[in-house]
Amino acid sequence: MVQSKKQRYLFLAFCLVPTFLMFALFTLYPLFNGLYYSFFQWSGSSSLAEFTGFDNYRKLFSDEIIPATIWHDYFLVITKIIGIMILATFFAVALTQMRIKEAPFYRIVFFFPNIMSVVVIGILWMFIYNPSLGLVNSGLEFLGLGEWTKAWLGDEDWALPSLVLPSVWAGIGLFMLMLMGGISNISKSYYEAAEIDGANGWQQFWKITLPLVWPQIKISILYIIITTLNGSFIIVQVMTKGGPNNATHVMGSYLYEEAFVKYNFGYGATIGVMILVLSLITVLIMQYFMRREKVEY
Amino acid sequence: MKKSWKYTFAALLLLVLMIVAGCAPGSGGEENSSEKDSSGSGDSSESGGDGEISGELEIQYFVGGYGDSWWKEVIADFQEEYPDVSIKEHAGPNINEEMRSRWVSEDPPDVVYIDGAGSSETQMVEDGQLMNLSSFLDGIELEDGTPLKDSFIVEPAKYDGEVYSLPLVFDTWGTWYDSAWFEEKGWEAPENFPDFMETMGTIKDEEDIAPFVTTGQHPYYFLRGMMYPAFGARGGDELLTQTIQGKEGAWSSDEVMEVIKNIEEMQKEGYIDPDFGALNHTQSQMNFLNHDNAFIPVGFWLPNEMAKDKPEDVKYGFIPSPMQKEGEPYAIVPDLRPLAIAEKAENPEAAKAFVEFVYTKEYATSFSEHTGALMNLQGVDLTESDDVPEFLIQANEMINDPDKVQIYQKPHPMSADLETPISNSLVSLMLGNITAEEFVEEAEQASKEYRKSLE
Repeated sequence: MVQSKKQRYLFLAFCLVPTFLMFALFTLYPLFNGLYYSFFQWSGSSSLAEFTGFDNYRKLFSDEIIPATIWHDYFLVITKIIGIMILATFFAVALTQMRIKEAPFYRIVFFFPNIMSVVVIGILWMFIYNPSLGLVNSGLEFLGLGEWTKAWLGDEDWALPSLVLPSVWAGIGLFMLMLMGGISNISKSYYEAAEIDGANGWQQFWKITLPLVWPQIKISILYIIITTLNGSFIIVQVMTKGGPNNATHVMGSYLYEEAFVKYNFGYGATIGVMILVLSLITVLIMQYFMRREKVEY
Repeated sequence: MKKSWKYTFAALLLLVLMIVAGCAPGSGGEENSSEKDSSGSGDSSESGGDGEISGELEIQYFVGGYGDSWWKEVIADFQEEYPDVSIKEHAGPNINEEMRSRWVSEDPPDVVYIDGAGSSETQMVEDGQLMNLSSFLDGIELEDGTPLKDSFIVEPAKYDGEVYSLPLVFDTWGTWYDSAWFEEKGWEAPENFPDFMETMGTIKDEEDIAPFVTTGQHPYYFLRGMMYPAFGARGGDELLTQTIQGKEGAWSSDEVMEVIKNIEEMQKEGYIDPDFGALNHTQSQMNFLNHDNAFIPVGFWLPNEMAKDKPEDVKYGFIPSPMQKEGEPYAIVPDLRPLAIAEKAENPEAAKAFVEFVYTKEYATSFSEHTGALMNLQGVDLTESDDVPEFLIQANEMINDPDKVQIYQKPHPMSADLETPISNSLVSLMLGNITAEEFVEEAEQASKEYRKSLE
């Protein structure tokens, strides 16, 4: 039976309109609303709001803490990309190529942190870093490296690097699975042919595996960037609240502090706009740099 | 057909934009007017009128270290006294966040107890959310006939001379120690700063621990618990006011510098736990109870909050923070948790009846029994009750003895806009990463920015 044009459009509308309405309500509305608030001085806890034009934006550019928060965010982005991608690729290759018997078990173990809430992960790692009872300091003492022990989350120089470990730990599983999916799609015949030509494992990895899972790697990196810029807030808020002395504030946690602790909701919204703009720019730049042609053999 | 699809899309987009514009706050000038009449309208509703108190009464109260058993008792008694009122309680540890949307949409509860994270009395007054209680207060009497306004230990905060909240809980930060441990080791609770340093030195030598701990995640504990009393002792209410309001030159004054130097000395001697920066509220209190440290500056909530974790042999000892010079009385800067009525209360009569009902000496005693803290009323005799903990009876006596303890009052809590940057610099100072001079400079800079934000 041939569909009439009317039916076709009705069907399209049936599919699109509810989705669009949801999208408008839960994405566009908050987005524009945030933009709107950024022009107001508003405490966020009353109905009094005073229009102040670009005052919040001027404040944003003269705020000394803002550059630090941006750097902290990108520090986490860079270290997370390096840490997660290296380890996830390593585990994915190991579990698919090396014919380990316990592969399914490891797959579950590595994926486990992904089903835990970030809040739980943060609290767990707070105990691991605990200055007197924590695993890290006890471990160092056990190894006779007592002088290396410190209050990891309470040290202005070490607090931010200390946040990398839990973030990487929490992220590996998902990307490992994605890469494993990519690797298992590569036809075995490539590896067999390479072996006959005398390529060793390392060469096989660089010449076959990596180019063929590039799309997955690309998506993983973009995904890490977006989730870090938008979500690093949670781990910071749980583990250090931005301290000590702003040493771990990321843009999101600083937004929270301004909007909900210092009652500068309008300024918080301005920081939100900044996060949006920076995320967009970063993703565009990364897409440009990673625009490698799809490889097919 | 294609065109009509386009029209539908355009109409949808328009609809969305309309929603966005309509929901935004302040789409008009009307909200500014509500600020203006906030001072006047409180007077318009007659106070003390014994007319019919009925209808729904909504009460919002934060539940933290003090628990909620006292509130339950008071509310049940009030219900019995006024059976026509139906009471709706909004309570819990996150109640300030949960009720925020109600306050924003100008549909607040009638009575609010302002305490805990996410609440700010100063902010609420600035936003015109609280009713002016000045004339209402004049009419309230305690059960023995004394006017309430003459019975407070600490008077209500005044904003341009007007009262918007009545201080209910008299909390004060002080320094806690384990008196049983001190007795066993033969240490004395310090009576002034030199004494404090000496005791900490002894403890450090004998126990090989850093004697002093506080939470680095909430550095304002140290600010409120140690520095305010020190400012009070050195420069009285005036210095306290100037530092809290970030007046020019206040933080770089000689008196403040002396205090900061003292803190620097504590850090250099290794008396401040170098791990404090990583500790949150509970961890720091746990460390204290586990004898990892010997002194901690917190409020009266400590015994009640840590009741389940307290090792059996620990006995709470409380002194006002010993930051004053030799030969001077201890200084205390109370921290008050007030009760207030919403400007937009739907049932102001019942709200007033409730507030009046709460302020009695009987409930003050029961408050101490339930919470181990003090209600802000003078002359409450706690010695006759068996349920009041010993440290509180001593503290209560101390507070009422001006030879031992001098009470200083801050005008209002410090604004978070000033407290946050100062607290941040304080962490650096206490970690030994900046000097006293650098701290003072940073605090002066923060004050400058704070003053600018008020313009």
